[in-house]
Amino acid sequence: MNGYAGHVGRVLPDPPDPIRLREDQLRLGLWMFLATVTMLFAAFTSAYVVRRSGSDWHHIALPSILWVNTFVLMASSVAVEMANRFGLRRRWPATAFSFGAALAFGIAFLGGQVIAWRQMVAMGVYLPSNPHSSFFYMLTGAHAVHIVAALIVLLWGLAMTREGSRNPRAWAAQMDLCRTFWHYLGGVWIFLFALVSLY
Amino acid sequence: MSEQHGFVRRYVFSTDHKTIGIQYILTGLLMALAGGLLATLIRLQLGWPDHQWLFLSRLLPKGMPSGVMTPEFYLAVVTMHGTIMVFFFISYVLVSGFGNYLVPLQVGARDMAFPFLNMLSYWIAFLAAGVMLASFFVEGGAAAAGWTAYPPLSAVSSAVPGSQMGQTIWILSMALFIASFTMSGLNIVATVFSVRAPGMWMMRLPLTVWSYFIASILGLLAFPPLTAAAVMLLLDRHFGTSFFLPSGMVIGNTHLTNTGGSPLLWQHLFWFLGHPEVYVLILPALGVACDIIPAFTRKPVFGYRMSVWCLMAVGCLSMIVWGHHMFVSGMSPFTGEYFSLVTLTITVPMTIFGVNMLASLWGAKLQLRVPMMFSLGVLALFGSGGFGGLFLGNATADMQLHDTYFVVGHFHMMIGGVTLLATFGAIYFWFPKMFGRMMNETLGKLHFWTTFLPFFTIFFMQHFLGLQGAPRRYYAFTAYDYLQKTRGQNLIISIAAMILVSSQCVFAINFVWSLFKGRVAEANPWGATTLEWTVPSPPPHGNFGNMPVVERWAYEYGVQTVDGDFAVQTVPSQIAPVSA
Amino acid sequence: MPSPDSHAHPRFARHATLLALMFAATGIGGVVYGARAWMPELASRHGAGIDSMLTYLLVSVGGLFLVSYLALAYFIWRGGRRTAIGPRFASRRTERALSIALGVGMAIIAEGGVLAIGMPVWAEYFDAAPPADAIVIDVTAQQFMWNVRYPGPDGVFGRTEPRLIDDTTNPIGMDRTDPAGKDDIITLNEITVPFGRAVRIRLHSKDVIHSFFLPNFRVKQDAVPGMTPEVVFFPTKTGHFEIACAELCGLAHYRMRGFFNVVPPADFDTWLHKQQESQ
Repeated sequence: MNGYAGHVGRVLPDPPDPIRLREDQLRLGLWMFLATVTMLFAAFTSAYVVRRSGSDWHHIALPSILWVNTFVLMASSVAVEMANRFGLRRRWPATAFSFGAALAFGIAFLGGQVIAWRQMVAMGVYLPSNPHSSFFYMLTGAHAVHIVAALIVLLWGLAMTREGSRNPRAWAAQMDLCRTFWHYLGGVWIFLFALVSLY
Repeated sequence: MSEQHGFVRRYVFSTDHKTIGIQYILTGLLMALAGGLLATLIRLQLGWPDHQWLFLSRLLPKGMPSGVMTPEFYLAVVTMHGTIMVFFFISYVLVSGFGNYLVPLQVGARDMAFPFLNMLSYWIAFLAAGVMLASFFVEGGAAAAGWTAYPPLSAVSSAVPGSQMGQTIWILSMALFIASFTMSGLNIVATVFSVRAPGMWMMRLPLTVWSYFIASILGLLAFPPLTAAAVMLLLDRHFGTSFFLPSGMVIGNTHLTNTGGSPLLWQHLFWFLGHPEVYVLILPALGVACDIIPAFTRKPVFGYRMSVWCLMAVGCLSMIVWGHHMFVSGMSPFTGEYFSLVTLTITVPMTIFGVNMLASLWGAKLQLRVPMMFSLGVLALFGSGGFGGLFLGNATADMQLHDTYFVVGHFHMMIGGVTLLATFGAIYFWFPKMFGRMMNETLGKLHFWTTFLPFFTIFFMQHFLGLQGAPRRYYAFTAYDYLQKTRGQNLIISIAAMILVSSQCVFAINFVWSLFKGRVAEANPWGATTLEWTVPSPPPHGNFGNMPVVERWAYEYGVQTVDGDFAVQTVPSQIAPVSA
Repeated sequence: MPSPDSHAHPRFARHATLLALMFAATGIGGVVYGARAWMPELASRHGAGIDSMLTYLLVSVGGLFLVSYLALAYFIWRGGRRTAIGPRFASRRTERALSIALGVGMAIIAEGGVLAIGMPVWAEYFDAAPPADAIVIDVTAQQFMWNVRYPGPDGVFGRTEPRLIDDTTNPIGMDRTDPAGKDDIITLNEITVPFGRAVRIRLHSKDVIHSFFLPNFRVKQDAVPGMTPEVVFFPTKTGHFEIACAELCGLAHYRMRGFFNVVPPADFDTWLHKQQESQ
């Protein structure tokens, strides 16, 4: 088609540092996604607070394995941090090992959550049993869905670690995304755990 | 067709924001056709409540056996009309469609920040639309609890036929829609933040981009609570929980076992989304109109900076006013007064914005081309719709007007009319850029006159139906003595609606005809200043040959350059003085 | 040439006149159409306040509507005739002054209306303690009827229990063992009240959300299952009025009709007596 016939402005080459731009975009995208996650759990929390004032609320005893799960998830976050440290020192085998440990802990957390659900079921407490149990199953379920998504991201990070030695800067940026997402979901879990057990 | 594979990659599973934008627009227009046909059915029923439409009984043997609509089909039609128009027409065409098409071009980017996510977003949206339409064909018919889906009506399958499978499918389709809209919103925000061309400072962005930017942020923050509410509704419907269902309910002589839930909780969560959502729809409409107007007044928009601040203020305020949908819901009356005062605060930025649009016509050398006529229509409907808001935001007045046709008239003026006319204005304005051909001017003018006048008549009159106390979502106004005198008005409204719907054929003909036979468009047929007009029509893959460098704001009209009485954003300051 | 016409085209001027006429006619026509007594006949005390709120809004908004449509029409008419644009910019001061004037003006019209006219009505309606001699009526909404209950001569409602509900024999779940309930009077879709006393209605819903709407009394309150909102109002006219449901409640929502009769006190006593005998 016919081009523009008017003034031609100044000409610059494409952005000089596309990797840097990509990092910024991904970080921005991740934080915006986390903002939507925050709003989701904020909505669940406000529903919890409203529903808590209902006359039929019974506080149910939560399985103690949740404490173990919490520590497993925290251990996983620590492992991710260690992977990051090792990576910055270019110790790639240790990085991969720590990353693998973080993933394993993450999967163990999910397994622990399933065990917690099964223990609840064994106690005869089901999803519709009472509002507290409804919220417990729903909140842990919603959190677990996000954990699954984050595990996929971690898996991607682990795969990237194998190429990390080739481009450490790009690797560090990807690592940042993994860390942010994973620690954030760890924080969400601690908040949810406190909510369902204390309030 | 030797390039079958190339065709698929280029036009079907494309990651190019222009293709995706056009896909969104076409999908949305098809959904509008569905929504418009549903509206026709509604008006047939309300205008001629007892008439037997025999030809329709053959077309819709279940919904209209013997030619008269059944109440269950009527409620399903009302619900689906609302859902389709709000979420699958306006959101798709105006927000995701034009948002995708315009934002990268106008900020000077080669594509969206996340092209793959963008493609995923469209295909999920396509799926969501298909799922929603499919819900007409399940047991019990489509969802029938209104587009607001208030439980218990939407939560208990025996409460209304549409609350059987139809409501579940409604929820699933909405979940897909939210996922897709979130991806699309993420993309727009990231694009505006991170891939603006050099020199494109935030305060040089066209108001279109500003409005998409703010609308996307609003959408990102407002939709998750609806997701949460939808999850809870799904659990209430299928897994016996009691989030929204209180104790002691008896429906159809069956005692429900639920205890202690709160139906108002849904309303709070729904309107926490619902109110920002109307701004998600209306801000882009206003932004688009603001950018079309100066191209036909040949002078800069009035009060650009103030308009930007107003958009931001409206965005913030919209998040804290949801309770004005619940004045008579049993919510505490003190809360009602709070929501009333905050809601009416919105009139301040919106008035300033509206008058800035009006003042943009001051001293203009007006050229009444079709996009401009539609933009003036946007301005007119924004005025009349906004004035209706003064009644409804006022808790005292709302006691009489809540859930009457006044509400229907008001929101159709705003998220129906402002957005519809802005959509048409945008299509006439950017059609040459998208397809390289102009649309027919004469047919376009005919389309404007036969759209604006019936539209205004219909929804202006509905305000007064509301003042007479006619409740919305009534299958007929025949059962009440005090509503007998609304029969004549309903007849006029229905006739106007038929004119409105049939006049859209003019648009359809114009659209298809121009696609193949329209006059070939130049790169900048309107003499406009934003970056998309500096590239050929249609723009090539990657949009810009060389990355553009932005030297000025988007409204440099009324200065002399070799192009004419305007300077596109890339014209350096040596050639024409820079205003901002 | 991509550049637009440099002088006004007579075609534009003609269209501009036509469009300006259309917007002017819409503005004037809208006000003429709207300036009528649309509201249903008023029959309650607080309703007068709501009506003055609505009248205030109709007048002020009608004025704004007319002015803005005429301004739009004028700008279009004038703009279509210009051969060159006026000044490109207003000064920053003009812009700021216009914004402030508009903001303050709109705030006064909108918020001022709420504060000066709306708040007192709202307070009267919600905050005033119900008069001691108010007649108390229990209304239980269900798909698609209004169950009405009077406390009877003892002035006390009998206990109800949702689990006792049976749509044919015991629609609101009266506890037959409660002596206070023995003299309760139950009617269907019909509320009768004596003229001269306040009415206090306790709303319940058995199933979905309904909305108790008395168009003539400017009363509208959702009946939400699990909640018992109350409405108090003072009828100022005798006569027979209609009750409508204003919240989508299912298939027969559009004909969930009830009757609200305001009768002289003597007639009320007779009516109540007759109802009691037929229980």
